[in-house]
Amino acid sequence: MTIQQLIEQTGWKPVTKDADVTKEINGAYCSDLLSWVMGKGQPDQAWITVQSHINVIAVAVLREFSCVILAEGAHFPENVISRAEDEDLVLIESDLPVFETARKLIELGV
Amino acid sequence: MFYDLHMHSCLSPCAENEMTPNNICNMALIKGLDLIAVTDHNSTKQLPACAEAARNIGIGMLFGAELESSEEVHVLALYRRLEAALSLQPWIDAHMPGIPNDENYFGNQLIMNANDEIIGKEPQLLIVSLTATLDECVEEIHRTGGKAILAHVVDRKNSVTTQLGFIPPDLPYDGLEIKRPEQIKEVIARNPWIKENETEWLIDSDAHTLIDISEAVNEISEDTVARLWGDLQ
Repeated sequence: MTIQQLIEQTGWKPVTKDADVTKEINGAYCSDLLSWVMGKGQPDQAWITVQSHINVIAVAVLREFSCVILAEGAHFPENVISRAEDEDLVLIESDLPVFETARKLIELGV
Repeated sequence: MFYDLHMHSCLSPCAENEMTPNNICNMALIKGLDLIAVTDHNSTKQLPACAEAARNIGIGMLFGAELESSEEVHVLALYRRLEAALSLQPWIDAHMPGIPNDENYFGNQLIMNANDEIIGKEPQLLIVSLTATLDECVEEIHRTGGKAILAHVVDRKNSVTTQLGFIPPDLPYDGLEIKRPEQIKEVIARNPWIKENETEWLIDSDAHTLIDISEAVNEISEDTVARLWGDLQ
């Protein structure tokens, strides 16, 4: 599915304005330790995390993630959002805990 | 000057009870150190006793704490003056998550006087992450006149490397702490924008027991100390 379809079917908010939501999502990866994500993430995955530090953007670009989903109702700081827009990376905020966020993706066939 | 600027007193639940203010200072003296710092987890409450013990025993001391940010990154706050270090405490208090300590599980958190007598116990668990980001921790350390040293930067636990993948290039830290000199190469390999000669490197023990306090092997020049913290006198 595409990021656009995910947003429409979950109601989760994309917080980036101009980033490309037509990208495909193929699988997902869950972790908050960026050292692990750098080593294990795969291209086109949606990355589910509670980590909102600006390093998230560099790691997501490095691993060529489709998008980053911040779970637990947490929010990305403004400087992180603008860095993501520079990198054409979609950031999404989910009110659900990490496990429930992942379950939602599974239900939608990711 | 031989130094060790990262060790824990018996206020840190994970440190041994033998890490009393006088034991720490005397052991550091026996080992031939000239400058030490006691840096408990998220607390400055052992520092008044440590300051008095250091003065009585005649060893140089900087005053600090090891903060844990909301990203679970450890960062040392190091000050030249006791009062400046203590001025960090209200901010720490305002950013504690308020989890009670379970002594049987985590260990006790003893506060002592300069005679190594127990004068209190910290009821809140200290090995927790503060509700402040790493950026906010560094900002507050600077606001209170301290230096922010990223702690044990390539360790597998609570280091900037494990938590954030790499050292944030825009973070205005003052120094990087490692455990062994050969780790400088590892830090630079992971963070190629870091210049070896333009970075203040500290090699500390992170001792939780007396025996683990550094021997007299790591030296810091008085110029470097003065550049970071001003004249010690």
